[in-house]
Amino acid sequence: MKLQVIRQRKLWWSISIAVILAGLVSMLISWQQIGAPLRPGLDFVGGTRLQFELDCAQANNCEQPIDIAAAREVLSAEGLGNSSIQAITDSRGRQVGITIRTSPIPSEQRTRIQQELSERLGTFDPAKTQIDTVGPVVGQQLLTSGLLALLVSFAGITIYLSLRFQLDYALFALVALAHDVLVTAGIFSILGLLFGVEVDSLFIVSLLTIVGFSVNDTVVIYDRVRETIALNPGRHINDTVDEAVNQTLTRSINTTFTTLLSLVAILFFGGETLKYFALALIIGFIAGAYSSIFIASTLLALWRERTGNAIVVDASSANLESISPSDEASS
Amino acid sequence: MGRQRLLLLLIVALVIGAIAVIATLPIQLGLDLRGGSQLTIQVKPTPKHPEIKPGDLEAVQSVIEGRINGLGVSEPIVFPAGNDQIVVQLPGVNDPAQAERVLGGTALLEFRKQKPGTEAKLQIEQQQLREKLAKQKELRTSNDQAAIAANQENLQKTYDAIAQMFEKTELGGTNLQDAYPNATNQQNVWNVGLKFDQRGGELFAQLTKELAGTGRTLGIFLDEAPIGPNFAYTVPVEFAATGITGGSAVIEGQFDLETARDLSIQLKGGALPLPVEIVENRTVGATLGRDSIQSSIYAGLGGLLLVLVFMVVYYRLPGIIANIALIIYAILTFAAFVVLGVTLTLPGIAGFILSIGMAVDANVLIFERTREELRAGKSLYRSVESGFYRAFSSILDSNVTTGISCLALFFLGAGLVKGFALTLGIGVAISMFTAVTCSRTLMFYAISFPGLRKLEYFCPKLKGTKVEV
Repeated sequence: MKLQVIRQRKLWWSISIAVILAGLVSMLISWQQIGAPLRPGLDFVGGTRLQFELDCAQANNCEQPIDIAAAREVLSAEGLGNSSIQAITDSRGRQVGITIRTSPIPSEQRTRIQQELSERLGTFDPAKTQIDTVGPVVGQQLLTSGLLALLVSFAGITIYLSLRFQLDYALFALVALAHDVLVTAGIFSILGLLFGVEVDSLFIVSLLTIVGFSVNDTVVIYDRVRETIALNPGRHINDTVDEAVNQTLTRSINTTFTTLLSLVAILFFGGETLKYFALALIIGFIAGAYSSIFIASTLLALWRERTGNAIVVDASSANLESISPSDEASS
Repeated sequence: MGRQRLLLLLIVALVIGAIAVIATLPIQLGLDLRGGSQLTIQVKPTPKHPEIKPGDLEAVQSVIEGRINGLGVSEPIVFPAGNDQIVVQLPGVNDPAQAERVLGGTALLEFRKQKPGTEAKLQIEQQQLREKLAKQKELRTSNDQAAIAANQENLQKTYDAIAQMFEKTELGGTNLQDAYPNATNQQNVWNVGLKFDQRGGELFAQLTKELAGTGRTLGIFLDEAPIGPNFAYTVPVEFAATGITGGSAVIEGQFDLETARDLSIQLKGGALPLPVEIVENRTVGATLGRDSIQSSIYAGLGGLLLVLVFMVVYYRLPGIIANIALIIYAILTFAAFVVLGVTLTLPGIAGFILSIGMAVDANVLIFERTREELRAGKSLYRSVESGFYRAFSSILDSNVTTGISCLALFFLGAGLVKGFALTLGIGVAISMFTAVTCSRTLMFYAISFPGLRKLEYFCPKLKGTKVEV
């Protein structure tokens, strides 16, 4: 298999642009509907989420489905009528629990709600209770610290790459990273619009991991570009890039594939908490492999061509790795 | 070859050491996995104290620790976060309501003496106080938030009026040695018993001596407000000579058991120097945590197993060596978590699984490179050698860039994010060692056996090229 990355670059770019545009449109619609580009979870807007499960070890406790209307009555009496209430279904299809999402509530009120719900719905198992209360201020902190971490790592990676390679390599690696983040965020925005999927602080973690991993792919290809330039300084950059991409293609595919194996397993069989985390990583890693192979490489070639550096005359600037391996072996 | 053998010994020694560490020391699990409650407490500045300094945070933390100890939770953890927050972790707590109540109030206990000439006025205000407190209790059950707020405002006026009639004394919550709920004759009415320390006992005797027989009362105030409807005590005249000695007192606050217990814990722990608010509460039931850890770990391990199979099928002998290196990697990393005291959380496990992905990547890079060299017609030994050598710069760059992300997350992120960054970061550092040094040593050890020096073990479908072995 030999990929014509340079010749077909218009095609590769169009695919990326289409996906990113779809995401951006979704973000705009989402902005109009809910005031944020992605559907923010509890972590960022603050609130209380309560999850109670019935104690099925007790006789006749889990037999009836959860009476959502009764739960809503309890919450309305507390002035929380507009909360979202969902039943939890177990593997046998029985409704065994309830999830409630409200504005932040103090502990006395929470205890009261818990007691009243238990009276109406059945005995809860305390070992299966989950309570999350995030104050609005903390939510803001989580969001800003997460975004700051993202920006700082962008800057750090750019600096490192411009030291190890050259500034233009670093800038196009950055473009590839922005591409991956945009694709992932865009798809989650669409998921948020269509299925109400929310993003939490783990989503920020996943974006950062995607950044870390995707830059790997780009670096490996750039490493090969640099090496090929050093070996054949007279060659046109388009050929160099084409060859470098193809030489590293098996590696790119195998690495992405092996990483995805674990993630897909977590997505389908893992705990509820990690599902969307795994999904974000899967989307991001695929986007990352794609952008490294098709975007970062072709942009670099185009840039060098346009700036008249398509053929490196002075090889010494890129000549970092040209020591023969046999030198090392004999030492 | 001497160096290779030394490295091999080092690797074996490390693995044995790591297994010993894992077998003897337990790994710390985060609350999301073992179940429990995590509360984040925000320390709030006051007009008098507009800036929170590190010393203030420490003072608040020590009071909070005191109160947490009063709760009787096993292995609680209290640590500062940022400049003005304190995180409290309560393993095994499913319902943190009591902890939230106990941690919330400042609990500044004061004994004040009534000013002369206010006796008649106090009678009236105290009557007002009783009525308003009774009304408030009634309103609490009705849920009419507006009425509660209105009455609270009303109550505050009475508080202020009463506070005007008392003057502060030296005696307060700092002079306590112990506080405990104390039963009364009435059903579900509790008092809080106080035991003063030596200085407190002396002050209390002195104060009661001064007030005995004067008709002026001794008032007990909590957080600037009378502690209950019967907050003021008249000291009988027989104590005029010595005061009340013995160093103990009782607050007759008409408390229910819960309130009496909470107040005792608060008083014993001391008053908070600054007001606080609980801004975050994350509670996971024990079973819930166990369920999520199990399914995620099984899923992750299942995925890894597939990776191991893939490596052998695709890369043959190098794949087997990579797998051995990966298992060594997993053992060393896990041991590092134990030794460094990393608390394993769900995102932490995710970070660990991803770092295994990084370690695999390094091997994939090396073996792809080796195959390329073989296809180019180099000898097996030189191909392997240059595979490791040439892949190194890519491995280094990719690990450093991941490391940069980890650093950013670790220093800027909070809570779970930090856990993820830590495990991924440790993993990346160790994978630099195992993927390069470990695989390399094992690989050269393997090809020192002539029987393993077969090309099809390294690169199937290598046809047409003549290769010297």
